[in-house]
Amino acid sequence: MTGNSRLSQALALGATLLLALWPLAWPEADLYFQVFGMACFYGVLAVAWNIYALCGAISLGHAAFFGLGAYGSALLSHYLGWSPLVTIPIGALAGMAYGVGCGLLFRDLRGVYLGLATLASVEIPKVVIDNWSSLTYGSMGIVGLAGLPDIRLGDLVIALGRDLKAQYYLLLLFLLMAGLLHRYCLFSRWGWALRAIRENETAAAMAGVDIFRQRFLAIILSSYLTGLGGALYAHLLGLIEPALVFNLHISALPLVLSIFGGRLQLYGPILGALCLYPLDQLILQPRLPTGHAAVYGLVIMLTIFFFPQGVASWLLKACRRVSN
Amino acid sequence: MIFAQILISGFSLGSFYALIALGFSLIFGVTHAFNLAHGELILLSGYLAYYLWKFSGASPYWAVPVCLVVMPGAALLLNLLLRGVKAPFELNSLVITFGLALFLQNLMLWGFSADYRLIQPEMGRFLEAPGLRITETQVMLLLLSLAATGLTHWTLHHTFLGKALRAAIQDRRAALLAGINVRRMGLVAFGFGGMLIGVAGPLYAQTMYLYPAGGLEATLTAVVITIFAGVGRTRAILAGGWLLGVAESLATFLLGAGWRELVSAVLLIGLLIFRPHGILAKGEG
Repeated sequence: MTGNSRLSQALALGATLLLALWPLAWPEADLYFQVFGMACFYGVLAVAWNIYALCGAISLGHAAFFGLGAYGSALLSHYLGWSPLVTIPIGALAGMAYGVGCGLLFRDLRGVYLGLATLASVEIPKVVIDNWSSLTYGSMGIVGLAGLPDIRLGDLVIALGRDLKAQYYLLLLFLLMAGLLHRYCLFSRWGWALRAIRENETAAAMAGVDIFRQRFLAIILSSYLTGLGGALYAHLLGLIEPALVFNLHISALPLVLSIFGGRLQLYGPILGALCLYPLDQLILQPRLPTGHAAVYGLVIMLTIFFFPQGVASWLLKACRRVSN
Repeated sequence: MIFAQILISGFSLGSFYALIALGFSLIFGVTHAFNLAHGELILLSGYLAYYLWKFSGASPYWAVPVCLVVMPGAALLLNLLLRGVKAPFELNSLVITFGLALFLQNLMLWGFSADYRLIQPEMGRFLEAPGLRITETQVMLLLLSLAATGLTHWTLHHTFLGKALRAAIQDRRAALLAGINVRRMGLVAFGFGGMLIGVAGPLYAQTMYLYPAGGLEATLTAVVITIFAGVGRTRAILAGGWLLGVAESLATFLLGAGWRELVSAVLLIGLLIFRPHGILAKGEG
């Protein structure tokens, strides 16, 4: 067991170093900075989705938290003129507030019915924001949002808003932090409680796990992290509109990446994002400009059929076989 | 007078919603597969009708027989796909059809572009009075939806096959013991559901704008009526469709057209909170 965890730690460290150091060899690869930066970004969303999925909840509506976080930050920045560095963590609270509401309202829902409720929950903020034109500019959205500011460290200026390489490192850092959080979620006492709920709720309750409390904490953390992602997204793009953020695609992608990568494994969601998103953007998108996202639908169907545990579990088994 | 208008558009829309829900509920009742791609299949049928209408120039109702043949084929393919799904079947079928919905949405985006499309035949007013306007499209919508619903009701309640289907919906194990081939009943349910989807498509293309991302709304409509009414209960589904149709017409009148989409989502969440264990709980308890 220790040999295995040491091996996986070494692999994770190696992958991190590779991701951090390859720009030294290719300093001008803007396309790759953008694609791998966004892969890291979706990795964070997949981790956020998976934190709620640890207790067995399959959410089909994380776009609600994403969009509310995005709108929270965009409106603060638009009306009050605050720096995105301040509005992103505050705006994400809007996503978390909705997560609190969902956690309370959906406390008795499980499985399929929870999935349906979360799917429908996206419509509410979407329609409200669409129609509340005096505050949100309705379906036109807001353009010209403030980008991320420059950060000065002595003589060094890091232009997060303009330099794609700097953005890549920011998103990589975001992913690393999400990965550490995921590790904490999995292996802490709380994580064990969550997984006990997933495996057998009645047995977990008998063992003294407070079901509602643990699930509630999971959705709060998950919705805040997703809201942070949404807020960051709005400022990275510089524009926002309801159809862009309350999108089936935003709900589906974290689920697909997470289940494809392996939602039971520590590195599963991240692995899924780092494999699948670049494949989609670098190989499929140039050949099939519209409709290339069909690949995510195809991948999730194939994954459920052929390796329901995900790629990470399959790789882990292969590694074990080699080391034996 | 304005309320008569609301009621009329509510009832014609509601009958159509019942038609949408009927196929979903039949498939779910017999096979326990939550088909989140239901709306996308209706859209596909609608696009088929749209292109038939556009390139042949004939009345859009000629598309109905074509869709009636094509869509059961698509539904049976879906049945084939879902047969291989492992336990937990309900959740896995939900995730798979969610993936299928995403796949079909992108396929339609690629094939039919993101433009809004609508079948707009040259049709007169059926009735025009001060403050009241009924179009022929609305009348046809009402008639065809009611005919399909009535036919489904008759099949379920007055034929031997219908009896077997209802038995499979009510209790699968008992149906098996009674010698009913439940697997074959699943095939029948998908075929029949596919025909209902086939009828719904051309009507959809005349009533609402077709665009690739529009399927989710139809799916939510089907889910909310099914959860309200229970599975395989035609009359309750019709009542649920009417209620939803009138509620949406009222919301459009009182709040504006933009708020209409909210009605089914809020009703769905409310129903689920009210009945957290869903529709099958009663049968299994």
